[in-house]
Amino acid sequence: MSYIPGQPVTAVVQRVEIHKLRQGENLILGFSIGGGIDQDPSQNPFSEDKTDKGIYVTRVSEGGPAEIAGLQIGDKIMQVNGWDMTMVTHDQARRRLTKRSEEVVRLLVTRQSLQKAVQQSMLS
Amino acid sequence: MSRGTMPHPGAWADQSCVEKPAPEPGPSSPRMTRAAAPEGGKAAAGGQPRAAVRCPAEQEEDMYRDEYEIEKEKELLIHERGSSEPRLSVAPEMDIMDYCKKEWRGTTQKATCMKKGYEEVSQKFTSIRRVRGDNYCALRATLFQAMSQPAALPTWLQDPELTLLPEKLISKYNWIKQWKLGLKFEGKSEDLVDQIKESLTLLRKKWAGLAELRTAEARQAACDELFTNEEEEYSLYEAVKFLMLNRAIELYDDKEKGKDVPLFSVLLFARDTSSDPGQLLKNHLNQVGHTGGLEQVEMFLLAYAVRHTIQVYRLSKYSTEEFVTVYPTDPPREWPVVTLIAEDDRHYNVPVRVCEETSL
Repeated sequence: MSYIPGQPVTAVVQRVEIHKLRQGENLILGFSIGGGIDQDPSQNPFSEDKTDKGIYVTRVSEGGPAEIAGLQIGDKIMQVNGWDMTMVTHDQARRRLTKRSEEVVRLLVTRQSLQKAVQQSMLS
Repeated sequence: MSRGTMPHPGAWADQSCVEKPAPEPGPSSPRMTRAAAPEGGKAAAGGQPRAAVRCPAEQEEDMYRDEYEIEKEKELLIHERGSSEPRLSVAPEMDIMDYCKKEWRGTTQKATCMKKGYEEVSQKFTSIRRVRGDNYCALRATLFQAMSQPAALPTWLQDPELTLLPEKLISKYNWIKQWKLGLKFEGKSEDLVDQIKESLTLLRKKWAGLAELRTAEARQAACDELFTNEEEEYSLYEAVKFLMLNRAIELYDDKEKGKDVPLFSVLLFARDTSSDPGQLLKNHLNQVGHTGGLEQVEMFLLAYAVRHTIQVYRLSKYSTEEFVTVYPTDPPREWPVVTLIAEDDRHYNVPVRVCEETSL
């Protein structure tokens, strides 16, 4: 998916609903994020476009809430509970995902394998 | 972040035609050794002969050193001085604001300007790595940044025709034999074609090796090992200079045929001292690494040679639209970007960006 900042984005998205797990004081999701408009996009191993400053899933804990919900490593997070995640700083992204008042976060993600699968089926 | 404006022809006539870059001192330039002193402080401090420092309890020992001891001390001194020359051509990273505070202590207008410039850079980059300040520093900084980035091997490097280029060009243009090799290669009797071919092969081999490394840390470490002031490092610069010449020849030919060429190439050949590629080699490229660095217009040529966009924070241009200058001005989207810092336009250092990963 090529991404030109400011232009409308067309993407195939997958809904992922994560139910956070309570561990003592904390609510954990079981995955890690990289990226953000304040970060170096060329370091991202998952993006197709090396200028893409979006938020990507860099790790998924085995058996954790995110894995159970179907989140995969390399997924790009487009939205969290309706909030845009394509033009946020790394810290803003962290905050949007870790709100104490929200036990469930509904993510919209894009996945390269999904994109390709849809493209393939459209061609046949 | 504003893009640098293309200097208009009038400006070039004022600047680069007349002004040659001031010859920089030899390999151990003030910048590197001055900066190295704090780190290597223990080893190089004053070079005090160790034997002279004795604790009171040992005063019974003979205070006069014999011939043998004096010679040993001399050797130690030489060894210490030698080791104060840093091995790495690109120093380990240091916090950018700490660096700024150390380098610019005063309250002069220039110091204030520099501090503001560094502050702006620190919004996007946390650290800085000093680059060895000989006349290769523009090439060094650019190549180092390009090779240490986690990215695939550039397609132009994969072209098998690349290593046939020296043979092709040198047989076509005899004047290329006036090529001046770097100091490390002086006295070598090897044929120029073979020499350059070797350099290009080495560039491809090393870059490919780096591209195969899985983690950013491994790649960074391997890159540090490549830039260690040895023949290998300088062989890479011969390759890059040759690629610059190649591009210059292409652009010159295109221009002569009346094709569309980027503006910088017009300015490149508009200079009295480089009216054609032969002149460019003799008066400019041959000086790079010896008595001069790269001029502004040659930074464009470097970018074109390695097909990387070079983004430079030019601190002396703080609060002007040239503060961040991009070479070339309208870069192709697919070219990877490397970022450099220049206080004046003579010496380049590399900034290091933070890459956060947060677990949730």
